[in-house]
Amino acid sequence: MIQYFLGYLHSNVTPGEAGNFLWVTIYVLLVFAGISVGVMFMNWFERKVMAHMQVRLGPMRVGPVGLLQPVADALKLILKEDLVPSNADKLVFWFAPVCVVMTAFCGFIVVPFGRTHAVTDMNIGVLFMLGVSSLGVLGVIMAGWASNSNYSLMGSLRSGAQMVSYEIAMSMAVVSAVMLTSRATGTGTMSMIGIVQAQQQQHTWFAFSFFPVGLIALAVFAIAMVAETNRAPFDLPEAESELVAGFMTEYSGFRWSLFFLAEYTSMMAVSAIASTLWLGGWLRPFPNLLGGQTWDTAFSLVPGLLFVALGALCFYRLRSMPRIRAMRPEVMGLAGFGAFLAALGLFMLLPAVRVRIQDIFWFSLKIGFFMYLYIWYRTTFPRYRFDQLMKIGWKVLLPISIGVVVLTALIGVRQELLALVWR
Amino acid sequence: MSDDSFYESLEEIAPGHTFLGSNELVLNMGPQHPSTHGVLRVILKLDGEKVNGIECVIGYLHRGIEKLAENRTWIQFGPFVDRLDYTAAVSNSMGYCLAVEKLLGVEIPKRAQYLRVILTELCRLASHQIWLGTHVLDIGAVTPLFYAFRDREDILNVFEKYCGARLTTHAFRIGGCRWDAYEGFAKEILHICDDLGPKIDEYKDLITGNRIWLQRTKNVGYISPEDCLAYGLTGPLLRGSGVNWDLRKAQPYSSYEDFDFDIPLGTAGDTFDRYIIRIEEMRQSIRIIRQAVEGLPEGPIITKVPKVIKPPAGEAYVSIEAPKGELGYFVVSDGTAKPYRVRVRPPSFINLQALEKMAKGSLVADVVAIIGTLDIVLGEVDR
Amino acid sequence: MKVGEFFKKILLFDLFKGLSVTFKHQNPNDLVTEQYPLERPKIAERFRGIPRLVKDENGNDLCTACGACALACPEKLIKVGSERNPETKKKVLTEFDFDMGRCMFCGLCEEACMTDALDLSKDYEVALYSREGTELNRAQLEEGAPRKVYEK
Repeated sequence: MIQYFLGYLHSNVTPGEAGNFLWVTIYVLLVFAGISVGVMFMNWFERKVMAHMQVRLGPMRVGPVGLLQPVADALKLILKEDLVPSNADKLVFWFAPVCVVMTAFCGFIVVPFGRTHAVTDMNIGVLFMLGVSSLGVLGVIMAGWASNSNYSLMGSLRSGAQMVSYEIAMSMAVVSAVMLTSRATGTGTMSMIGIVQAQQQQHTWFAFSFFPVGLIALAVFAIAMVAETNRAPFDLPEAESELVAGFMTEYSGFRWSLFFLAEYTSMMAVSAIASTLWLGGWLRPFPNLLGGQTWDTAFSLVPGLLFVALGALCFYRLRSMPRIRAMRPEVMGLAGFGAFLAALGLFMLLPAVRVRIQDIFWFSLKIGFFMYLYIWYRTTFPRYRFDQLMKIGWKVLLPISIGVVVLTALIGVRQELLALVWR
Repeated sequence: MSDDSFYESLEEIAPGHTFLGSNELVLNMGPQHPSTHGVLRVILKLDGEKVNGIECVIGYLHRGIEKLAENRTWIQFGPFVDRLDYTAAVSNSMGYCLAVEKLLGVEIPKRAQYLRVILTELCRLASHQIWLGTHVLDIGAVTPLFYAFRDREDILNVFEKYCGARLTTHAFRIGGCRWDAYEGFAKEILHICDDLGPKIDEYKDLITGNRIWLQRTKNVGYISPEDCLAYGLTGPLLRGSGVNWDLRKAQPYSSYEDFDFDIPLGTAGDTFDRYIIRIEEMRQSIRIIRQAVEGLPEGPIITKVPKVIKPPAGEAYVSIEAPKGELGYFVVSDGTAKPYRVRVRPPSFINLQALEKMAKGSLVADVVAIIGTLDIVLGEVDR
Repeated sequence: MKVGEFFKKILLFDLFKGLSVTFKHQNPNDLVTEQYPLERPKIAERFRGIPRLVKDENGNDLCTACGACALACPEKLIKVGSERNPETKKKVLTEFDFDMGRCMFCGLCEEACMTDALDLSKDYEVALYSREGTELNRAQLEEGAPRKVYEK
């Protein structure tokens, strides 16, 4: 047993490839825990960033800077009454949030946080993720149907139509990125790890290859993924001031929080696809421009130093906290949190840990960048009307993405084409 | 949704009656709703997504203010008027005082008139900030609401320092103003004027040029100039359709003729034009405030009126250009200390009639935008 | 110019301008939130808050029980009780009832008072759990209504 456990530690493949079931289970649990923590952090982060962009403070009372707010929200949702509408289809009503959550989490099986840090590596990785996210649409439609309300049904059908339309543009953009993987070796791959390795071999992130075609593909994917996950500016089906209430209305308490969890998880999943395909996955910035041993070490120090800096920031904020007795638990909490972050940062500066952590760190940072974009869009843009939304999906994004595929193909075989023409 | 599968149409059963079409859906946008500005109930008859008919049900905020007037003295009714259009309380006070002063036949000192103009224009700024924030929020952008309320805070602070309350100000008295300018009045107001210019430009960057905004508001909620005049619409709705009518220029009151300002006009009577007009009105208000503050004359702030006001029997109608439109007061006196009748001509009530005309044939998502552009406040509609 | 406009449209310039506006506002100096009850707002001098009966420096009542405030009030919620002092032949205040629950804080009573005895103070923190405490009697008006101070 111990041999089974230790035998994996020096391998250089993911546990799924190595066939090591114990480690697969451990990785699955780690991914699950990580995503849950990520969703809770994302809840806090969204509220704070939105608030700061709106010149206000956001949650401040629960926990030091509102850090315990997601915990409070989760507790409240669990303790709420579980309402099931009468005449609702009970089995479908129960199953809809389960379906959405399961498909959202399943996508994370192939997401690589590093060369060995994925649950497994399928050779159809990207296709698997896109397929699984399409199954999520089924859950949305089931939710609207099971609510036994005319308005919820209309809302869920609109939501489903929107998700399906933008998936096509997303897939075309993905095709163009997958085509780029074959430039170095002559054979392309759809495996997520393979795509990042292709970027490593070609010494460029795919966003910058065939400039500006790569950027256009990334832009198309970035817009389509916002529409796919029903977020602003494409969030008409779940808008509060809209009459048709949206498929989530009849769900309360824990079931609603499952939808919420699924929404943020799918946001993270499509951000993971975008980071892997165009932004180089777990590769650190400038792997070749600033290459060499010293630069490698310098960049690997960044995660640890960042956490130490965050801890120091916590301690700095202690100075501006009011010194009255009632605030003492908050002050101690903030100090404790700062100490925890600083300790984590110091732990991450150890050489043995540094080497393993850096891939995960850079990948998480890229996902975080896309999450910030999501929040930024939500704060800034008004909503599209539904017909305008569908018009953009079909009449604007789809032709552009097909154009991108064709252009990538043409530029990719330009040598052969020119040779053909010149003869 | 309907089981008339036996007949070709319901006309066969009962010719001549009007029935709901078999595809029609009746949707109730109830009194409590995040987007109707107050307790307005809108019943929509929808054909799929298209609006076929609208019916507004009002009266959820009716407080009997006009009836209360019959049992209060002329001076005691002053605080009640603030509660009509509670987003712009100072203009209501201005209108009521002007009406009673006309009945009494008194002349207001110049300084009081200038002070009234300053506060009313500040109140117009404040009211347009609320309109901006809520209208844009209905369409989906969540941040300008907070920027608008932040800008409004400065104006409300001025109100608090001047008359003691931020919202229900009771700023003016019959005969002039109760309070004179406080220490630092001019400096603070000029500071607000300087600050507000760049902030209005920010709205231009954030909203006006935004393609999503343009798509949501252009050609939405069109109303023709003839319809405007037929319905009796006033304010930015009228000017949005191109009719050049602003009471501050057409029938100047309270020294508005001393100031130099423009009236923004629109050409296409759609939501976008009305949006631009209100933003421009904010800029023109800043112009007026600057001129008034810099030209504030010395002198008394209230004329001598008796302690118990008993206007001679008669009636008077005075209307002012409130932020929402033409706000009119028809006061009837029978010679006693209490009014015989006070009738308010609320701009929002009259403007609300146009909702059906504007929204018929558009999509459901546009109804919300149109209610926002009408800039109604239910305190006025229901009184 | 048409070409420039066209490029601005496809490169989504207007959207980026909007994004930059919201981004700039994240500056911590821009925040306008007041964290009540840790930071309390600044109240103006003329603020119309909870009514108080003011005494002069020697502790005598400034109120002459004339009843002008009761006449001026639109809601008729002030009751002034008085008796005549046989020696000075002047009215002396015995009771003063103010129904704060119906008051709209219009300030007409403050205006009508000729001795500046009734004053709408700068106090605003008098939330109660029921209607019982809203009718203020003379003692409460002179000393201030009893209330609980919250720290957190």
